[in-house]
Amino acid sequence: MNKPERRTLAGRIALDLIASVALAAALGVVTAIALAGLTLLFASEARAAEAPGEGTLLLRPRAGGDALDAPLQSTAVAFQVSGVVVRARVVQTFRNPGEGWYEGVYVFPLPQNSAVDRLRLRVGERTLEGEIQERAAAQKTYAAARAQGSRAALLDQERPNMFTTSVANIGSHETIVVELEYIETLRYRDGRFSLRFPMVVGPRYVPHGVTDAARITPVVLRPQEGRMPVNPVSIRVELDAGVPLAEVSSPYHQVDIKTVGEGKREITLAEGSTAANRDFVLRWAPRPEAAPRLAWFTQTQGGRDYALLMLMPPAEAHEAPLPREVIFVLDTSGSMAGASIRQAREALALALERLTPQDRFNVIEFNSTARALFPEARAATPAQVQRAIGWVRGLAARGGTEMASALKLALNGGDAGAGVRQVVFLTDGAVGNEEELFRLIQARLGGSRLFTVGIGSAPNSHFMRKAAELGRGTFTYVGRVDEVGARMSELFAKLEAPVLKGITLQWPEAAHAEAWPARVPDLYAGEPLVVSASLERLEGELRVSGVRAGRVWEARVPLAAGAQGSGIDSLWARAKVASLMDSLREGAAPEAVREQVIALARAHRLVTRYTSFVAVDRTPARPADAPLAHADLPTNLPEGWQHDKVFGELPQTATDSRFALLSGMLLLLLASLWVGRRRRSA
Amino acid sequence: MKRDQEQYLGVECAWPESNTALRSKGVERLRPILVALLVATGGWQVARGAWIQAKAWIAQALVAQAWQRTLAGETHARPWPWADTWPVARLTVPSLGVERYVLEGADGAAMAFGLGHLSGSALPGTPGNSVISGHRDTHFAFLRELALGATIIVQTPDGARRAYAVRRLRVLDRSDGWVAAQEGPSRLTLVTCFPFEALRAGGAERYVVWAYAIDEHKDRGGERADRTSHLL
Repeated sequence: MNKPERRTLAGRIALDLIASVALAAALGVVTAIALAGLTLLFASEARAAEAPGEGTLLLRPRAGGDALDAPLQSTAVAFQVSGVVVRARVVQTFRNPGEGWYEGVYVFPLPQNSAVDRLRLRVGERTLEGEIQERAAAQKTYAAARAQGSRAALLDQERPNMFTTSVANIGSHETIVVELEYIETLRYRDGRFSLRFPMVVGPRYVPHGVTDAARITPVVLRPQEGRMPVNPVSIRVELDAGVPLAEVSSPYHQVDIKTVGEGKREITLAEGSTAANRDFVLRWAPRPEAAPRLAWFTQTQGGRDYALLMLMPPAEAHEAPLPREVIFVLDTSGSMAGASIRQAREALALALERLTPQDRFNVIEFNSTARALFPEARAATPAQVQRAIGWVRGLAARGGTEMASALKLALNGGDAGAGVRQVVFLTDGAVGNEEELFRLIQARLGGSRLFTVGIGSAPNSHFMRKAAELGRGTFTYVGRVDEVGARMSELFAKLEAPVLKGITLQWPEAAHAEAWPARVPDLYAGEPLVVSASLERLEGELRVSGVRAGRVWEARVPLAAGAQGSGIDSLWARAKVASLMDSLREGAAPEAVREQVIALARAHRLVTRYTSFVAVDRTPARPADAPLAHADLPTNLPEGWQHDKVFGELPQTATDSRFALLSGMLLLLLASLWVGRRRRSA
Repeated sequence: MKRDQEQYLGVECAWPESNTALRSKGVERLRPILVALLVATGGWQVARGAWIQAKAWIAQALVAQAWQRTLAGETHARPWPWADTWPVARLTVPSLGVERYVLEGADGAAMAFGLGHLSGSALPGTPGNSVISGHRDTHFAFLRELALGATIIVQTPDGARRAYAVRRLRVLDRSDGWVAAQEGPSRLTLVTCFPFEALRAGGAERYVVWAYAIDEHKDRGGERADRTSHLL
C-alpha cells in the first residue's frame, strides 16, 4: 500500500466515523427536540379542554411570617362533659416577648360540629365580650380598631372545622388572652363515648382553583433540634357521664385520671401540657348494664323549647351478611408518607383478608393520578386477595392528592342491585377543595355507600365526616398503628351487619317541631340516632321507626320526660346551619341561605361562614405613630408527618443530561470505529 | 482491491495458524449486533441528554406565555394543561442578561421546566425567605457566573418588581435544610448542585446564593445577616 492510498483509506475511515457519529447524534437530538416540541406544542393547543390537572403540595405563608419574633402563644382547654354533651372553653394566650406592637394571627382547628357561641378578650383586668357580626362587618370593625391602635380580637370560621383568631396591638411584653367557648354533641358508638379535640391544622393539598388557599395554609415550622414545639396546650376534662363508668382512656396522650364520684372523673395531661401536633382523644365506656339507650335533653330559651335526642336501637342477633361489592381507595399522596401510609397499608391488608369469595372487590390508589388494580371488581378468591395484598404492600406515598379522579373511578353512579356496594376510602383528607369533592360525591353516589377512614395524627375530619355523611356511610378515625386492627374490625363488622334503614321521626302535631338533620341517615350496628329539635311545646310522644333486615323497628319518646340541659339551643342552631350549608350543594339559592344562616347566627350567637365574633377594647393602646408588625403564628407539623416528604431536604438540583450526552457520544464513537475497522478489513 | 487482498494474503501467511482466526470469525458474525447495540445505547443516551436540555429550554418559552397570562390576572396559569405547576415569578439578572421563570414546587417535575420555588417558603418578591432551586446544568448554570453584589430583579404576579443584591455565596451539604428557615430579612435563597462540572446527578453538595432585598429591612438586615453567618 502506498502513501496516497493509505491517506485515502484513513480519510475514508475518519469520514465514516464522523458521519456515523454525527448522524446518530443528530438523529437522537432531532428526535428529542421534536418530541419535546410536539408534547409541549400540542399542550398549548389543547388548553381549552383543561382537565383537572395534577398539583403539588402548597404551603404558603400568608405574608412570610417571622416566626422568631411571633408573639408566643399557649392554649388551655377545659372541657365540661355532662351526659352526651360537652362544653369546651379554649383559652389562647398571645404574648409579645419583645419590643414594638404586634398583630398575631393563628389558624387552628376545632371539632367539626362544634357550635362556637362565645368570645371574650381579656386585657389585664378588663374583660370584653365579643359580639356576632356579619363576617365582612366584623372584619371592618377589627380593621378599624387595629388602625386606631385599639386592642381587638376577631374570630373567623374558614372551614366548619378551621378557625382563625386575629389579635391586634399586642404591646411590648404584653399578654392578651382570647377565650372562646363551644358546645358539641359527643360521639357515641359501640358502647363508647369519645371526645376529640383536634390540635393542629395539617398542611393541606390545595389543587388548582381553590380561592382561599392563603387563608387555610398557615406557616408550618420545620422541626428543629433544641427548639421547643410552639403553642403548648394544656387540657383538663371534668367528666360527668351520668352513669357508672367501666373504663376511661386517652389513647394518644398520657393522662392522669382522678375519680371524684360515681360516673365522675377529672382528667389532666400527665405532662401538664403537650405540643399541639396530634389530636387529643378521650374515650369512656359506661358499664354495659348502664349503657344509655336513650338520652333526651330539653331547654327552654326565648319562648321555645329545644331538645336533643340520642337513641340507640337495640342490637340484633347475627344474620346472614348480604352479598357485597367493596371498593377500597387508598391515598398514596406525599402527605401520607411515613407512619400514615404504613397504617393505611396495614388497614387495607386486614380489610382484604376479611373478604369472602362471594364478595367482589377492587383496589384503587391515587396521588397525582388514580390507578385501579383490576379494570373492574372481581370475586374475592384467595388468589385474587393475595395478589391485591401484594400490590398494596408495594405502594409508596408521593405526589399530589387529586382525590376527584379517585372518587370518579370509585363511584360509578350505578345502582347496587340486590347487594350492597361499599366504597372504603382511606386517606388523611389533606385537601383544600372540599366543596368540589362533596358535589362530586353527591352527583355520583347512586346506590353506593361511602365509608371514610381517617389515617394519621391530623386527618381533615371535617372533610371525611361530611364525605361519609353525603356518601351515606360512616367515618372511622385511626390515630395509631396499633389501633388499626381494632378500628378496622369494628368498621367491617358494621359493614357486614344489616343496616337500620328508612328511619322516620313522627312528632306530635301540636309540637310544631323543626328537627335537624332533616334526612336521617341509615344506622349501622352500634350507632345511635342523634337529632336536634326546636318545639313549640313539650307534649305528646315522638315515634321513631325504621326497617332492619325486613323487619320494622319502632321506639317512642315521651317529650315531657326530658332532663334539663344547657346549650341545647346552640346545638340545634348549629345543626340547622349545617343543613342549610349542605342545601347549597343541592342547588339552594345562596342569598336565601346566607340570610337564614345570618339570622340564626345572630339569634344564637354563633360563628358561621357568614358571621364572625369581634371584640374591641375601645381604650386606644398603641400611639398613632408607632408601627404595627404582623406575625402569622406558625403551626407544628402533625406528628408522624415527615418534613422531608412534605418540604424536602435541599432538592436534587442536577440532571444527568451532560453525562448522557457524553457517554452517548462516546458509545457512538466506539461503534463507528468498529464499523470503520470492518470496512477496512472488507 | 486486488492489491489489498494480495497484501493481506502475504500478512496472513506470516501469522501463526491458530484458533484466532476462528475466534475473530465469531466476533465477525457478532459484530453487526454489537455495533447495533452500541449505536442504540449511544443514540439513546444522546437522545436522553438532549431531551432533558430541549425540554428545559422549550418549556421556558411556554412558561413565558403562562407568565403573560399570570400578569394579565390569571391565577395558577398552567403552561400546558397537564402541568402540575405554574409560574410564580420572573427572575432577571441584568448583568448576565439572564431571564428565568420560577415555577411552583421544588420537585423534579417542576425543575425539569424551570426554576422551582420551594413550597412553604415565602413566594419570591414577598417578605420572608424565598427558596428557589434549579438544575446546575440547565436553568441555574448561570449561578456559577453570578458575582457578589450582582442585582437580581424579581417580578411578582401583580407585575411589581423588586431588587435583590447578591450578598453571600457558599457550598453546603444537601442536609442543610436550615437555609429554608423563614426567620430573618427578606431574601432569595438560590440553591443548585455543586460542583458545576460534575457529570452525574446525585451529589451531596449544594451551592447556595443569598440575595437580600435592597429596599427594606435595611436597618435590621445587616445585623440579621451577621447572625446568619455564625451558622455557616
